[in-house]
Amino acid sequence: MHLPQTSAGRSIVLCFLALAFASLLNAEGLRKTAETQPQGVRRDLALEVTHPLVGVSRALHLSTPRHELQIAIGRAAEDRIDATVHLGRSQVSHLPRSTPKRPAESRTPDHPARRTLTRPLRVWVGGDSLAQVPGEALERRSGKGRMLEFGSVESRLSTGLARPDLYNWFTRIGQVISDLHPDVAVLSFGADDAHDYMAGVPRGRTVGPFGSPSWRAEYRRRVDGVTREFSAAGIVTIWIGLPIPDGPGFRRSFPIVNSILQSVARAHPKEAAYVDTWHALDGAHGTYTPYLRVNGKLTLMRLPDGVHYTAAGGDVVAEEIIRDLGRFYALP
Amino acid sequence: MLFPTVTFAVFFLIVLPVSWALMPRQRVWRVWILIASYVFYAWWNWRFVFLLGASTLVTHALAVAIHRAREPRLRKTFLGLALTFDLGLLAYFKYAGFFVTSLDNALGRLGVENASWIVNVTLPVGISFYTFMAISYVVDTYRGQLVPSSLARFAVFQAFFPHLVAGPIVRASELLPQLERPRDSRRIDNGRAFALILSGLFLKVVIANQLASHIVDDVFAAPNRHSSLEVLVGIYGYAVQIFADFCGYTNIAIGIALLLGFRFPQNFASPYTAVSLQDFWRRWHMTLSRWLRDYLYIPLGGSRKGRLRTYLNVMLTMLLGGLWHGAAWTFVAWGGIHGTVLAVERLARDRRAARGLAAPADTALRRWVGRIVTFHIVCFGWIFFRADSFGRARDVIERLFTAWGTASPLVTSSVVLAIGVGIGGQYVRPEALGRVFGAFQRLPVGAQAACAAVALMVIDTLGPEGVAPFIYFRF
Repeated sequence: MHLPQTSAGRSIVLCFLALAFASLLNAEGLRKTAETQPQGVRRDLALEVTHPLVGVSRALHLSTPRHELQIAIGRAAEDRIDATVHLGRSQVSHLPRSTPKRPAESRTPDHPARRTLTRPLRVWVGGDSLAQVPGEALERRSGKGRMLEFGSVESRLSTGLARPDLYNWFTRIGQVISDLHPDVAVLSFGADDAHDYMAGVPRGRTVGPFGSPSWRAEYRRRVDGVTREFSAAGIVTIWIGLPIPDGPGFRRSFPIVNSILQSVARAHPKEAAYVDTWHALDGAHGTYTPYLRVNGKLTLMRLPDGVHYTAAGGDVVAEEIIRDLGRFYALP
Repeated sequence: MLFPTVTFAVFFLIVLPVSWALMPRQRVWRVWILIASYVFYAWWNWRFVFLLGASTLVTHALAVAIHRAREPRLRKTFLGLALTFDLGLLAYFKYAGFFVTSLDNALGRLGVENASWIVNVTLPVGISFYTFMAISYVVDTYRGQLVPSSLARFAVFQAFFPHLVAGPIVRASELLPQLERPRDSRRIDNGRAFALILSGLFLKVVIANQLASHIVDDVFAAPNRHSSLEVLVGIYGYAVQIFADFCGYTNIAIGIALLLGFRFPQNFASPYTAVSLQDFWRRWHMTLSRWLRDYLYIPLGGSRKGRLRTYLNVMLTMLLGGLWHGAAWTFVAWGGIHGTVLAVERLARDRRAARGLAAPADTALRRWVGRIVTFHIVCFGWIFFRADSFGRARDVIERLFTAWGTASPLVTSSVVLAIGVGIGGQYVRPEALGRVFGAFQRLPVGAQAACAAVALMVIDTLGPEGVAPFIYFRF
């Protein structure tokens, strides 16, 4: 097929013009992308560029086609950023003290009375990308005769409790409680929270570097708040800990998150549990291993990135979750 | 660095004008494009840049040695060394874990005490693609079909960023001549380039991502939780998803190369319109099909060593083609399904020929029956390709027959529409597309930019939030 041809100069002009027009038409989406970048020069630069872009786009009504299309497909609110940490009655507008008065770890755990089931348990799974595979494994274990009724897995890549501006799990958790009425909420958060920046803190305030006492205190407040939200609605919360990772960076950051999840679960022994995936998936010497033996067979547990689970790894985590559920319910 | 991201857009807006500005000074251009390609590759994991560099240096050195050697035995030795090196890299980085676990589990079944050693190797993105290009380079040199170029040209050939991580698998004889002299800056196929880039983005961002998140992932994760209709639509959905994902990527790659002045071979030609499996492989991942034909099937003897050997060669080629896609037995099974059906089709043709019967008349009914049967054989193969184990594949197949009449909330109008567009789009005639390209090409540059911008806005708005990685990146 012979087509008329043109010059490279024209192609370059066309590329620049097309992307410039597209930037104006998509300015709101670009602004959201910029806002949700990790703190740093890249975010600052992106905000510097997108701020005037949105101004021009709105002035020329060029953001209207995108907005109208979003309304037509039922996604009108997609470009809005809601960074408020909604934690119901436990919501506070100020940052907590950097050190809790009484560390939760020192409390003696109570043992909840096991509830007898008269109908299958409704399970909802939510969290970052690490929630997906264990959620699917739980789904495979649910069904008739198992007293587990699976709701859904809501897994959103690169989200967490530190960045409600990226995806507001606090808002979503409120909706889940009121709309889905689960008996159990299985949550996997933290892998994408290990940054020096947290959204949803009062303007002009920061939480300090990742792992600092103030960071830990604020993160603990959020985890604790979510647990209380579910607990107030009579929902048991299962916090899935982060698995032992391959790589020194994550190996330093994951235990910090795990210690917070674990301490909050310990502080709410009747309403929450912590699933220790770190030790469920580590090797014989407590080190990272991609393989474990399952029924004598060497089985791949982890994806090549050294963080995410394979389906077999998800099965191991699901087994741990069901075992923990046995603390609260008399499962068959 | 993924194509449908702002990062890549910025990267390309820098690379494109500088590339054309430096084009007349070929040496400087080669340095520039090599730096750009290595930066593109390093975006995933900078350590693997050294692996790519080592592959280039060793492959080129051995190709030159093959070319210079006069002694046939010496040439063969150098070829063996090159193949051992390139396939060794692939075997180690892609298949070490697979081989170790398969061996360990086989020994375990025989009652031999398991003495496993754990292998934990990160798969470098694109290694299957650039290794195949390296192999074609040394084999073509050995066959006397190619004279090795300079190291710099070969480095650009192997690392050129549009094809680096997921193809198409470009041959040295196709790209190296284009690297010999500056590209003509007055002969750019703008219309085709933009149509390919925009259609690729649409296929990936709108069709593939929607199908993955709305039905396919759910169905293949827990087939027993879904109705037969959902499972059936999920399988059709995966057939369209993998086509949209991979064809989308290569369309963008070909379009980007065109804007830089280079022509890549076509990689897809409406594969779901194929009337037989042989026809399917002439339309699906065409650059891999011809690679397997020229560097595996023909060296194995092709169809020159009798009928039985021909069927065996077809089967071996497809089994290894399956393994190329992933280090798991499910991929081998996928290759086995294709190999079996290809061998059966060939057997039927051979028998007809042996009886002196003419080929059946090419009627519309026969074509449609062929298309429907072929599509369903391909879909059956995709079950094994997508499932993470044989157990899961069995669950999918069982569920296909055992849960009719139950609710199917995942079968929504948007899912059916995406599947319809993905398959129906393949029946659009190339001439019609050509008219669209031509009409775009004749527009003033401002109007062209406005059209492209509106298309980008629609694609971005319709696609789900975030960018899912391309399926073929893991191969």
